[in-house]
Amino acid sequence: MITDYRYIGKPTLRKDAFDIVTGKAKFISDLTVPGMLYGKILRSPLPHALIKSINTTEAKLLPGVKAVLTYKDVPDWKAGARPQHVRVLDSKVRYVGQAVALVAAETEKIAEEAIRLIKVEYEPLPAVYDVEEAMQPDAPLIYEQFNANVLPPESRAFGPRTLQEIVIGDVDKGLAEADFVVEGTCAYENIPNPLPPETPGVIASWEGADNLTVWSASQGPHMFKVTLQPLMGGINIRSIGSPVGASYGSKYMSWQFVMPAAALSKATGKPVKLCFKKSEHLAAFTVRLGSRIHGKVGMKKDGTVTFLSGDWLVNTGAFSECAQFMIAVGCGEAQLMLRCPNWSLKPKVICTNRTASGQVRGFGGQELKCALIPLLTMAMEKANIDPVNFFKKNYVKPGDGYYWRDGEWWVCQGTDYTRAIEKGAETFGWKEKWQGWLKPTAVDGARRRGVGVGVHGNADIGEDVSEAFVRLDGDGKAIIHCSLAEHGTGQRSNICKMVAEVLQLPLERVFFTPVDSLVNPVEIGPVGSRGTYAIGNAVIAAAEDAQRQLFEKMAPLFKVTPEDLETSEGMVYVKGKPGAKLPWSKGLHYYGACLGRGRFEPDFSKPNFMIVFSEVEVDVETGKVDLIRVVCATDVGQVIDPPSLTNQLNGCLGSGGIDSALFEETIIDKRLGRIMNANMIDYKWRTFAELPEMELVVLETPVAGHRFHAIGVGEIATAPGPSAVLMAVSNAIGVRLNDYPLTPDRILNALGKVNAAKRRGKQ
Amino acid sequence: MKNFAHYNARSVAEATHLLAAYEGKAKLNAGGSDLIGVLKDRILPDYPEAVINIKTIPGLNTIEENDGGINIGALTKLVDIINSPLIKKNCPVLKETARTVASPQIRNVATLGGNLCQDTRCWYYRYPDGIGGMIKCFRKGGKTCHAVPGENQYHAIMGAKKCFAVCPSDTAVALTALGAVLTVAGTKGTRTLPVEEFYTPLGNMLALDEMITSVNIPKPDPAAEQAFLKFTLRKPIDFAIVSVASVITLDQGICADARIILGAVAPTPVRAHKAEEYLKGKKLSDDTAAEAAMLATVGANPLSKNIYKLEIVKTLVKRVINSGSCLS
Amino acid sequence: MTPTQIKPSLPTLTLNVNGKLHSFMLGEGLHEVSPSHTLAYTLRERLGLTGTKISCDEGACGCCTVLMDGKAVLSCILLTVECGEKEIVTIEGLEDPETGELDPLQQSFIDHTAFQCGFCTPGIIMSAKALLVENPSPTRDEVKEALSGNFCRCISNYHVLDAVIAAARKGGGE
Ligand SMILES: Cc1cc2nc3c(=O)[nH]c(=O)nc-3n(C[C@@H](O)[C@@H](O)[C@H](O)COP(=O)(O)OP(=O)(O)OC[C@H]3O[C@@H](n4cnc5c(N)ncnc54)[C@H](O)[C@@H]3O)c2cc1C
Ligand code: SF4
Ligand code: FES
Ligand code: FES
Repeated sequence: MITDYRYIGKPTLRKDAFDIVTGKAKFISDLTVPGMLYGKILRSPLPHALIKSINTTEAKLLPGVKAVLTYKDVPDWKAGARPQHVRVLDSKVRYVGQAVALVAAETEKIAEEAIRLIKVEYEPLPAVYDVEEAMQPDAPLIYEQFNANVLPPESRAFGPRTLQEIVIGDVDKGLAEADFVVEGTCAYENIPNPLPPETPGVIASWEGADNLTVWSASQGPHMFKVTLQPLMGGINIRSIGSPVGASYGSKYMSWQFVMPAAALSKATGKPVKLCFKKSEHLAAFTVRLGSRIHGKVGMKKDGTVTFLSGDWLVNTGAFSECAQFMIAVGCGEAQLMLRCPNWSLKPKVICTNRTASGQVRGFGGQELKCALIPLLTMAMEKANIDPVNFFKKNYVKPGDGYYWRDGEWWVCQGTDYTRAIEKGAETFGWKEKWQGWLKPTAVDGARRRGVGVGVHGNADIGEDVSEAFVRLDGDGKAIIHCSLAEHGTGQRSNICKMVAEVLQLPLERVFFTPVDSLVNPVEIGPVGSRGTYAIGNAVIAAAEDAQRQLFEKMAPLFKVTPEDLETSEGMVYVKGKPGAKLPWSKGLHYYGACLGRGRFEPDFSKPNFMIVFSEVEVDVETGKVDLIRVVCATDVGQVIDPPSLTNQLNGCLGSGGIDSALFEETIIDKRLGRIMNANMIDYKWRTFAELPEMELVVLETPVAGHRFHAIGVGEIATAPGPSAVLMAVSNAIGVRLNDYPLTPDRILNALGKVNAAKRRGKQ
Repeated sequence: MKNFAHYNARSVAEATHLLAAYEGKAKLNAGGSDLIGVLKDRILPDYPEAVINIKTIPGLNTIEENDGGINIGALTKLVDIINSPLIKKNCPVLKETARTVASPQIRNVATLGGNLCQDTRCWYYRYPDGIGGMIKCFRKGGKTCHAVPGENQYHAIMGAKKCFAVCPSDTAVALTALGAVLTVAGTKGTRTLPVEEFYTPLGNMLALDEMITSVNIPKPDPAAEQAFLKFTLRKPIDFAIVSVASVITLDQGICADARIILGAVAPTPVRAHKAEEYLKGKKLSDDTAAEAAMLATVGANPLSKNIYKLEIVKTLVKRVINSGSCLS
Repeated sequence: MTPTQIKPSLPTLTLNVNGKLHSFMLGEGLHEVSPSHTLAYTLRERLGLTGTKISCDEGACGCCTVLMDGKAVLSCILLTVECGEKEIVTIEGLEDPETGELDPLQQSFIDHTAFQCGFCTPGIIMSAKALLVENPSPTRDEVKEALSGNFCRCISNYHVLDAVIAAARKGGGE
């Protein structure tokens, strides 16, 4: 096996590096199109209400206003996870911040003023925020069609057997076999916001009755053809991507901003640009799912889990962006973490009156783990088992099986991660620091240290279809045709490295087409951790196909068979005869090219893996928690680009990841239904001033199925962190905590230092 | 941002006359780090008709020593306060306080006058108009306070009646500890006002046509220990959840004088009189510090979600007494 | 005195951006600068200098950081009309105007892949630039402090620290 690659595994320059550091990179907010108008959204003041009347007369009269749309005059497009239940504008509002009317005007300022001239009368309805209250018979019904506010299970998204629960074996049998049984409620309901720096933005331009061009900051622009075209009456969409000012999953579905802009463009016949403000981004865009488990776990003395049962209540907010799809993946991921013969975990997706949840760095997995691991922790504590040993014993091994999102039983053919766990534990110093359950690692006056650990994995590295073309030009260039949007992972550059390696071309001679559905084949997008394996495989196959065609063309020139040829630097050689060489142009001519095609078909047999160790320090006199040190350990098969990988793994702190255990939360006033911290002062994020020590342990055990033996891990960096921190803080203060985030009030409360007698208002 | 008329004031007289002429419908702009956010989010019931730039007034950005003490112009930037040797030598507590404000970029433009006069950060008050409309409350002439029945984790735990927003200014806490006095100019002349008396439950003592021109700090006793502690979730960016500034004079281990000021617990900086009185004549020890800390919270009346702030007040008071120096 | 006696700001405004002077009429027209425009808006929408990014638009994230008379400031909370006398430098002004050569700091960001999505990067580079001008050989903690007002949600922070320290070393700092 070749291990000394020319580019693979070595740091190379990001192709877009120059543009980024000089400010030349054009994000969606930097683009303009001639004749463009600016869109604005009037947003609902109430969490739940019927619109009695809307008067747009005054707004329409304002000079410079080109269109004012209400639910009465927008096209009847519907979106949301099935059945589609979200209209662009509706006669009912279901969360504060929901779009009530749309304006297009010559300038942003005019559009903003016009919004204020629209008069709306509402008939307020009672609102509900808690999943269990929402299911009560007397709860307000958010959608007529969803009884008890529960969304129907998804039966098609991932095939006819789409996974919607985990029911395996016999829970009663597991109960009988258990040495310890614990029961409890654990929740991860602080609904952190992924908060990419760039707000959602789009330019939509309608040409004729059924051609729509969309420029957008989307993580998967090509998906509009798959998801939006059918929802918008079978029109043809040309989707053009631009670099995404980060997404963390949240700018994948994207119809929440694409459809309003498209409606305005349709109404005005002009391109319309719609970019959210940060407050809109925080108050009326994608947040994480709320997750609560009432569960029961049986465990043997040796850490064998005999059963797991319970209800998983998933709060999706005002609509389901894709919540039922997410629980399918979440249910699959739970089984990767836990080799357990008897399961009965029943999810329910419930609507409430707050901004909707959707995909955020993960697809249901982090939300499930953050509640499920604390539940398991209760059992580990009873059985007095070291959590590292528990995870080592229970993480899926080659040969183990699991039901994946398609409802099929897959057998693991990937890596055994035992070594990654051991190496991570060693690097962290787990043995020395772990003192047992609810015991601090060290005490220094008011400061107490504690350690904790969490795991996560996903079998999504090979999810969904990718297609790519690789074109070889006579002058010795390779052009990759693929609608892969750059959203920060460096994946466009990494894919170029793979092609350069296959063709032995200098990296500077490998190019990428712009992200444009008009010229590129189908691409689901760099979601999950599929970039390296799924997209990589499609592009590698295309490069290999192109090379095969090139050799077929040129073999006659050398009077050999194609198998006798090899290429490097845009020259073709006869193997073993370095003297016999011709440039590609001799085979392709200046007017010629050859186009290789590659396609990747889904494969869910190779789970990836991440373990996160954390050390915290708690000041028990103020309740302040400081994150001191983080160690992430994984095995990636083969590193493609070292700096891209470390960047991705360091990202475990951000995007609603580890810090959602510490201070990230969306705070809703439940009397008003409003999000109180929809700004970047009150929504807390990690600063340069307070970076924990970070160490990464990356093993490279080659993986079959990829030319460079690599798999992806980008997405899963965040998921194990929050529960690891929860465990660490519990150990530091000696009190079990089952709730996030660990703000000073919660810590002081847990320590019994908040005197309830002093309360004045009601709780 | 919505339009307004814009003036570059060339003198204090010009600025105050403009304020008077606009009858409350004009706003002074110093560093703008507070005002521009207020305007962008359209949180005020009446959008100002004019903005008056006061950075164009010469002579208001100096730090000088005089007979009365240290005089700091209202337009002095926080960065200049932090870097001033005079401040470092005489009032390190003010330097420490300024250092904890916001971020380097903001400290490069933010002024001392603006810091003292900044509007409240209550998140109901600041709720942006663009997400369903701004929120009316007592402080905006409305009839209710939403914080009392709502999300009040950062609100006042003492000294509040109608409005439970806390005074957001960090420097006000240090300046109160130092016994600083403001010089205030209006169309009818100037007056002085101790920082301790500057804040009112719904704002401050400035009349419609008035502005702060300078802050005078009486020269502190060189033997006095000054300290400031600010409790936040994150070091940069965050406003205080609780802060404490102290100026304590010791005579051979015995407390001769003490000023202990609590920040972010009430609509104004709060002097912990009982704790101050208790400490005088006592030898400082863990026990006296703990007792003083208890006394600092006497009379507190927290809301549903901010009782925890009491515990933090106690801890910080204990720690400023024990640390006895400017550690943050 | 009434407002009519005290004149509003001059009807024209000259901005010095990246060493070039730009004159504007004050007003509400499509190509004019309104008193209510922020510097960030003017740079982006009037001068086409879109390297300066807007994220929070209220002073909390540092994405819009530019240099004003050598100091890092937030262009989203500055009124353009109040910037007339100042020297403004944006990310576009860091390259050598003659040779087009990158500032060593920019090159160091490239060499360390000190970005992921890159949206925060121009603001971070400008803050770091201001630091290095004032303190050519900062410690790691001083860099953290200087960048403490810059948001990076991708957590490229660790690579950024490496890049700034390396640029300082190259620039003659220890
Ligand atoms: C992200 C962020 C974080 C922050 N963190 C903190 C913090 O930790 N601690 C803290 O204390 N503050 C904080 N602030 C508030 C910050 O705006 C102030 O600290 C700053 O000092 C205000 O000064 P300025 O000159 O920019 O005020 P401006 O915005 O110019 O003015 C503020 C107000 O005061 C009035 N005013 C200004 N000067 C005078 C004067 N001389 N006389 C009368 N009225 C005047 C103005 O009309 C305006 O209403 C933060 C702000 C932001 C945006
Ligand atoms: S605390 Fe004051 S500013 Fe906040 S809602 Fe109550 S009255 Fe309004
Ligand atoms: S955009 Fe200016 S600080 Fe955030
Ligand atoms: S690189 Fe994406 S926010 Fe910093």
